[in-house]
Amino acid sequence: MLVLLFYIKDVMYTVKCDRVREIAPIVNLKDVPHSPEYFAGYFNYRGTIVPVIDLCRLIRGSLCRIRLSSRIILVDYKNEGGKSNILGLLAERVTETVMKPDNAFVQPSIRSEDAPFLGGIVMEQGEMIQYIDLDLLPDCVHFLPDEDNGINDSDQN
Amino acid sequence: MKNESEKQLSEKVEITDGCWKKIGVWGNEKVRCPKLDTVIHCRNCIIFTQVGRNLLDRELSQEYRDEWTKVMATKKEEELFNTISVVIFRIEQEWLSIRTKVFAEVINPENLHSHSLPHRHNPVLIGIINIRGEIQLCVSLKDLLGIEGYSTKKNSSKSYKRMMVMDKNDEKWVFPIDEIHGIHRVHPNTFQNVPVTVAKAQATFTKGIFKWNDKHVAFMDDDLLLFSLTKSVQ
Repeated sequence: MLVLLFYIKDVMYTVKCDRVREIAPIVNLKDVPHSPEYFAGYFNYRGTIVPVIDLCRLIRGSLCRIRLSSRIILVDYKNEGGKSNILGLLAERVTETVMKPDNAFVQPSIRSEDAPFLGGIVMEQGEMIQYIDLDLLPDCVHFLPDEDNGINDSDQN
Repeated sequence: MKNESEKQLSEKVEITDGCWKKIGVWGNEKVRCPKLDTVIHCRNCIIFTQVGRNLLDRELSQEYRDEWTKVMATKKEEELFNTISVVIFRIEQEWLSIRTKVFAEVINPENLHSHSLPHRHNPVLIGIINIRGEIQLCVSLKDLLGIEGYSTKKNSSKSYKRMMVMDKNDEKWVFPIDEIHGIHRVHPNTFQNVPVTVAKAQATFTKGIFKWNDKHVAFMDDDLLLFSLTKSVQ
């Protein structure tokens, strides 16, 4: 399976590529007052409004550095209603993908309650890289349009 | 571990700034880089790669962000896949098309003279014609399709503007046409069905109709066309 490598500060993380829709460069984000700090803002992705989560803020607590190699990873996810949505993840040094066999993914035996999406491990040349579980991530982010449907509705109107 | 080694590397990179232009493959200095023995070329060297990565770690300008914001906001134009290449031509007032695959060539009929066959009174079979030293059958698609001409004068082979050669499985057919547009690509989804009320024989040869430059062009079924041609000249 193809995985996408990126950095949060100096630590390498990865996501599986099967959910990744597109990698976008950093664009101007519309920030929302009174939103959680990890929420970077909205941006207009080909006509739909997509929320962007700052992974660096969410995982490490520091804002993502704005560099040429920092990019927005656009992933597809299904909300509780089964409707598919797009979520943007802001991360640093999103420059590389590698192929990994399926048995390289090790399921975590312990999960943090605050961050259940973390903890899965991929082995890369004897080193461990944490991968972010895209199935669990949207549930942890309580600032998404499916919560109140307000954004989708206003978009249609 | 990896971070430490990377940090060391980036320090090293600063020291050996531009080493590939001095002691590497693009350099002229007599002392060669010892790493070249193992990596062969600088592009395989981790120092070179690391410097390349550092280029991506530059700050980005506001203009760059603005530009990409605009690019990402526009909808992606979906390209049409599986389009069919067709040759568009005209017989009298009718615009027709066949697949480019079965189209062979267009010949200026000035030097060509079709030879009528005696004791044959088939309106479809005009005669035989010499195409590049080979004798081919010359047929009238106009009569096969039942296209009515606006000019009522009895036509001779000379009055035709072009001769079109169709070739399928090494079976060649030559027929006169009034005008040829050329090759055009159409998508099968843009085909409209032929109205069922059309009683002309032409309709049965038409797989679909598509719009091109405000004209309706009939897309011909070449299999059926060749089959009927073969039948009609026997």
